[in-house]
Amino acid sequence: MSDRLLEVRNLTMQFGGVVALSDVNLHVSEGEIAALIGPNGAGKTTVFNVVTGYYQPTQGDVLLNNQSILGLKPHKIARKGLARTFQNVRLFGDMTALENVMTAADAKNKVGLVASIFGVGSSKPDESRSHSKAAELLTFMGISHRAGQLAKNLPYGDQRRLEIARALALEPEVLLLDEPAAGFNPQEKVELGELIKKIRDAGFAVLLIEHDMSLVMKISDRVMVLDFGQKIAEGTPKEVQNNQKVIDAYLGVADHAS
Amino acid sequence: MSTAQVTKKRFNLRDKFGDWWENATRTQRVIFRVVVIGFLYALPLLDNPVFGTTESDFASVLFYPMGMYAIMAIGLNIIVGKSGILDLGYVAFFAIGAYTHAIFSISFGFNLWVNIIFGMAFAMLAGVMLGIPALRLRGDYLAIITLGFGEIVRIVALNINVTGGAAGLAGVAAPPNIFGLEFRVDDAKPFYWLLLTLMLLVIWAYIRLIARRPGRAWEAIREDEDVAEFMGVATFKYKLWGFVLGGAVGGGVGAVYSSQVTSIVPELFTLQVSIMILACVVFGGMGNIWGVALGAALLGYFPEKLRFLSDTRILFFGVLMVLMMNVRPNGLIPRKKREKVYDKHSGQEVTR
Amino acid sequence: MDFSILWTDFASLLLDGIVVGAIYALVSLGYTLVYGVLRLINFAHSEIFMLGTFASLGVALLLGFDGFGEPLGIVAFIGVFLLIALVAAIASGSAAMLLEVVAYRRLRRKNANRLSSLISAIGASLFLVELFRIMTDSKDWDFPRLLDKNVLLEFGTAYLTTDKLVVLVGAISLMIILDQIIQKTRLGRGIRAVSQDERTAILMGVNVDRVISFTFLIGGVLAGVGSAFYMLFYEATKFNVGFLLGISAFTAAVLGGIGNVRGALAGSFALGIIQQFSSAVLGYNWRDVVTFIILVLVLLFKPTGLLGEALQKARV
Repeated sequence: MSDRLLEVRNLTMQFGGVVALSDVNLHVSEGEIAALIGPNGAGKTTVFNVVTGYYQPTQGDVLLNNQSILGLKPHKIARKGLARTFQNVRLFGDMTALENVMTAADAKNKVGLVASIFGVGSSKPDESRSHSKAAELLTFMGISHRAGQLAKNLPYGDQRRLEIARALALEPEVLLLDEPAAGFNPQEKVELGELIKKIRDAGFAVLLIEHDMSLVMKISDRVMVLDFGQKIAEGTPKEVQNNQKVIDAYLGVADHAS
Repeated sequence: MSTAQVTKKRFNLRDKFGDWWENATRTQRVIFRVVVIGFLYALPLLDNPVFGTTESDFASVLFYPMGMYAIMAIGLNIIVGKSGILDLGYVAFFAIGAYTHAIFSISFGFNLWVNIIFGMAFAMLAGVMLGIPALRLRGDYLAIITLGFGEIVRIVALNINVTGGAAGLAGVAAPPNIFGLEFRVDDAKPFYWLLLTLMLLVIWAYIRLIARRPGRAWEAIREDEDVAEFMGVATFKYKLWGFVLGGAVGGGVGAVYSSQVTSIVPELFTLQVSIMILACVVFGGMGNIWGVALGAALLGYFPEKLRFLSDTRILFFGVLMVLMMNVRPNGLIPRKKREKVYDKHSGQEVTR
Repeated sequence: MDFSILWTDFASLLLDGIVVGAIYALVSLGYTLVYGVLRLINFAHSEIFMLGTFASLGVALLLGFDGFGEPLGIVAFIGVFLLIALVAAIASGSAAMLLEVVAYRRLRRKNANRLSSLISAIGASLFLVELFRIMTDSKDWDFPRLLDKNVLLEFGTAYLTTDKLVVLVGAISLMIILDQIIQKTRLGRGIRAVSQDERTAILMGVNVDRVISFTFLIGGVLAGVGSAFYMLFYEATKFNVGFLLGISAFTAAVLGGIGNVRGALAGSFALGIIQQFSSAVLGYNWRDVVTFIILVLVLLFKPTGLLGEALQKARV
């Protein structure tokens, strides 16, 4: 139990008459790459939205490091250690790559507004800390040559990497990746897989939503399957692949054209 | 549609200057700053037929409307341009500052230097009280509420005794002498210098804020507020701060204003003032402090200079706003960020 | 503060509140309909109303009524008033359509952000106010009395005079007609479709440009007729009459639930009555502060209004 970094208990999420999630139990443990899969509309992104504080669940609890984070505002949850990327890349387009990452890195600083004006207190060291942390992460993701370019001008692949770098700047306990391989060709997907493993090895647990089955099967330690808002299976990639309920739900043909 | 191709074709003053600035040495930059600042202080002494205006002397015009518009536009820019909050009631902060100095100088004998602080403090307090409930709302509704606030301040001033009601307050104290300069009603020059000094201070503080964490936070909020929140930016706190700081500028300026005109009435603080300052921000380029200051100065100057524009000034402002939004929404000097470049000499990143 | 006046003058305050509410309703429908299709507050709508008041005045003066003649008989009055209302409706309606093209359309095509459209609208509003200020020399302009304001009925302290009856009957008839248009005609369906989901409406073959033009037209026409009623009742106008009336009409729309036609009506009557009551107790000069406070309170605590739609925030 105590190595569960992120836990979702009996989560129910209702929007008016629509039940998006129904009594869902999930968890992510230390040092693992967990995957959340399921047909479109199963509620996967909703899980991300609830867990990061954007929606208040109708019922249930969300725990980070065994502490409930229910009711906390998203920015507080981000600072406590839950960072995410988005299905459609959402960068701060008119800011440079470096600035994008610095903005997230700032969250770990303490400097207040007034201090920033006068350059006193921790403002100078904090500023350089954000700067170097951001530069470090850009290098880690292999896009340090893009540091000074506007995020909106980056090629798609680098934008995806930038988004991940930005999320990592929050030094999260768990990194939530929402379809990180969307739009990549097979070669790029292989590279992404390696990158995610590198992130795990650097000490971050990863929860990933993905449609590309071969990627999921190759890198995940554990897979959880949602369908119509309910968890229908959980286990190692092999177990899940052979689970009849999952196959019925949507697999059939593992299609690369996703 | 590649941004790079479009900007190459347009003549971009901002980029040309930016190129020069980037390649300039530290000494060159210091000289540039000294020259510009010196020029600004020397402006009132240039009262001649070419620059001068028909009705009042140049120094007066520099103080009001040029200087006042410019500094208020900078204040409003923090709210609208940086924090993305459409404020239609900015005049309320101005009024609070003006009445604070008027009431405190008449009733308690405090001088302007003290009252500027009080004016700013009360304006900030008002900003917090209005901001905490109002900033949770969406764009147009927030705008209407700020408009309502501006009107409420004016109507209250019109109807209660402390502010003198419709007759207002007269006999507001001019600032005490400083550095041998006397602040007299007939000489606007010291007032202009005072205003200019305040403006430079505000600009200094602003630049420091923008280069650091608050600047990034504001920009992120403007780009994508939800994502900023997910990335750990306390969006509400920063929006509130933007609102309050913009208000503080308005309050300080209001105090200075009332010390110059020495008598104030509620009719001076109408919705129209809020809208005119907004027009300056829109015209100058929302978010860009140089554009805003320059735009405000121009919008203050030309109606004074060109007689036919004087009477129809507000008509012209209205048309200008519609035109700018439809034709050149980014304003005189747009906010758009330039690509970051590494300074040739120091190897440091050049930030904006 | 004398609260007893609410008791003694209850009937007359109520009646006047309803009459004023009827005028607000005609203007607030313009705000709510445009908000429904564009999700935008048409800041310049108040000036469309103001323009109507001057159009009404113009017709009356052109027809030779200078305030010194004999008041008209019923039949003559109805004929004359219909003419005035028609001209005002045409003036305001066309001005509204022109406004849409000049201030909003291009921004809509470019998918510009809301801030830009709001600023453009403010500019248009500013322009119109100033234009009329210059043209009318900032003066108050009186409207000639066309009808003897005889008391027809008495309910306690409430006097139902002829002009109040005209306003009530006229306004309510228009509201019924509008409701039918929205519910039963093709363009009405178009308005409802675009209000709910613009993209799908386009896919279903709705000509969005035409629907939006039509919406502005209806709003303008209603404001125009409302302005004729206003002139009949208040008998005066000025270049800045739009501002405060606009705030009241807008508050009424928000109070009832912005985007909701029946809400606009409910909110207008409610606000009219509240204003009468509060003016009686606090004095007339605080009326607009009360209106603003109601606006702020509704937006903060019940943004959906009495009957209304939710102001959506979700963007993810």
